[in-house]
Amino acid sequence: MNSPNYYSILGVPRDANQEEIRKAYFSAARRLHPDKNLSPGDTEFFIGAKEAYEVLSDAIKRKAYDAGLPPEMNLDFPVSEKVTFSREYLVKMQEPQLAYVLLEYFPNPEDLNNLNSPPLNICLTIDRSTSMKGNNLDIVKSTAIQLLRRLRPQDIFSMVVFSDRSEVLIPSSHGGELSKLEARIQMLQASGGTEIHNGLVAAYAEIKRNYDPSFINHIILLTDGRTYGDEEDCLKLADEAMEQRIGISGLGIGSEWNDAFIDELARRTGGSSIYISSPLDIHRLLMEKFDNLWQIYADNITIEFKELENVSLRYAFRLQPELGLMSLESPLHLGPLLRSGSLSILLEFLVTGTENANVIELFEGQVIVNIATHSRPVSNFQIHLRRPVSMKSSSPEPPPLEIIQALSRLTLYRLQEQARLEVDAGSYDKASQHLQRLATHLLQQGNRDLARTVLLEAEIIKEKQSYSLEGDKQIKYGTRALLLTGSGGTQP
Amino acid sequence: MILCPNCQHMEVPGTVFCSNCATQLILLDSSKTHEIHDQDANQKAIKTSPFRPTPKVNFNSWASLHMIESGQIISLADRDEFTLGRTSEGQPIMPDVDLTDFNAYANGVSRLHCVIKRFDSKAHVMDLGSSNGTYRNGVRLPVHVVTPINHGDVISLGKLKIQVLIDQGKSTP
Repeated sequence: MNSPNYYSILGVPRDANQEEIRKAYFSAARRLHPDKNLSPGDTEFFIGAKEAYEVLSDAIKRKAYDAGLPPEMNLDFPVSEKVTFSREYLVKMQEPQLAYVLLEYFPNPEDLNNLNSPPLNICLTIDRSTSMKGNNLDIVKSTAIQLLRRLRPQDIFSMVVFSDRSEVLIPSSHGGELSKLEARIQMLQASGGTEIHNGLVAAYAEIKRNYDPSFINHIILLTDGRTYGDEEDCLKLADEAMEQRIGISGLGIGSEWNDAFIDELARRTGGSSIYISSPLDIHRLLMEKFDNLWQIYADNITIEFKELENVSLRYAFRLQPELGLMSLESPLHLGPLLRSGSLSILLEFLVTGTENANVIELFEGQVIVNIATHSRPVSNFQIHLRRPVSMKSSSPEPPPLEIIQALSRLTLYRLQEQARLEVDAGSYDKASQHLQRLATHLLQQGNRDLARTVLLEAEIIKEKQSYSLEGDKQIKYGTRALLLTGSGGTQP
Repeated sequence: MILCPNCQHMEVPGTVFCSNCATQLILLDSSKTHEIHDQDANQKAIKTSPFRPTPKVNFNSWASLHMIESGQIISLADRDEFTLGRTSEGQPIMPDVDLTDFNAYANGVSRLHCVIKRFDSKAHVMDLGSSNGTYRNGVRLPVHVVTPINHGDVISLGKLKIQVLIDQGKSTP
């Protein structure tokens, strides 16, 4: 890593204005003040921040300091960025046009060697309603016990169970006497209804009990049912949790749970939503989720962006590490970047007003990265995507292969989305037609099982004017799973 | 607007896959259209009026394509819209009128080159963003803009020249 400079000490971009510098300094001062002195070395950082502020807040001193800085500061960034555009330029025309951007983030290799993945502060939140009885709950119990055994000494774990009321089965702590905790899990019985808000409130309280910003603070919700009437409260709680960088991921078992709601919960917090079609997959998928958490390099990567004239963000989808639809409004909560692989987002922009422009600004904002184990705040960095506008009619170069590949799969997911909207709007014939087209493409790609499910569903919609309960989830998460890079795509 | 060749859905320029049927609208590098470097290709197309006795037109059709090089006639009937292009291996897109047999590749015809359609009792042609362009009586047409055509006009797809014969009585749908 480069030797620290005043900008990186305060964690501000090089073109930060006075207000940003002032804010960054006060937040650093609060955190690092000698009175609070948390760990050795903090005082030095505090002095450094003070020095940095004194120089950068003075326009003349700042100018002199900037002149002496090496021009290339990117090495200092904790993550590296790769931007791929679908086209080299936009075309001058009156009608609107589309541009796609693939945004990828990778860990800084040097930091990867020096930093361990942060400790976890996790609350496993389990639905114990009557419907979980039998296979589901037995597998959940045995998986929870295995997770307990695999925790690292630095990890903090808690477990909440809920039905129409909630109960803290394992209070937030660094483990404890394993046999006792395991016995408590074993005693768990299914009964009652599903009220997710109760569970989340208790889980949030457990996370807060040992909350530490240098941990990965995350709630994992496992449910098989639909919560009634408290969805709004849950989403409010998710927003509140996100302000403190507490993420929420949801796993839904079987066909009864409310997938749109769990997707939204995950979308707002940068978490993930996972569909478990059969109880036999509970163990594998829950373990996978934990493996990902243990692999986190940077958490809660967030992009704050400006509203720009002539450009609207029409679609945003996370392709890596966990699949999921993203919000279209600032801020975008992108979730974690793992130690291996990348964080990849595909963005679709609708552009107008090219007839009077030579360059179009597609996207402008800043990327906020939180590396929990970093000893000092890491610099936010600017993101600035723009395309030239040309008189030439059509682009001679086809879009890069990565974009074509991602889009070819994403288009199938979106066909399915469209069919859902059409069913909601009462256009059953259209929905059924879209599903048939989806099935054709799936057959071409050799996804026979999913194609059959889709065709069957197209028939059901024609006859019964609604989706079947299993069908819509299988299709949604089945087409979503096609997006996992590398895999030809089968059911998760 | 771009027209999806498969389902006729309208899409915004820059779209890579049709949102209605998932057909790929932008073609891949590996199967690019053969570029013509012959500068005078355009000038050759300027001669317009029929220079051969107009061959007999199919009874049902509202227009016919007279392939000038080979003298063959292709009738356009039963539908109001026909895409012209060539097929290539491993390509899911099929034009309505496949010009492969008329040496389309060497003449610089794109796989989806242009569309001929009938509305408002007139025949029209529109270039679909082809590599070598569509010409009407030697004048290059703007991309994705619908241009009316008259009986006897010669349109060129790259270097491939086609005379359009319109059956006046049937040009109204």
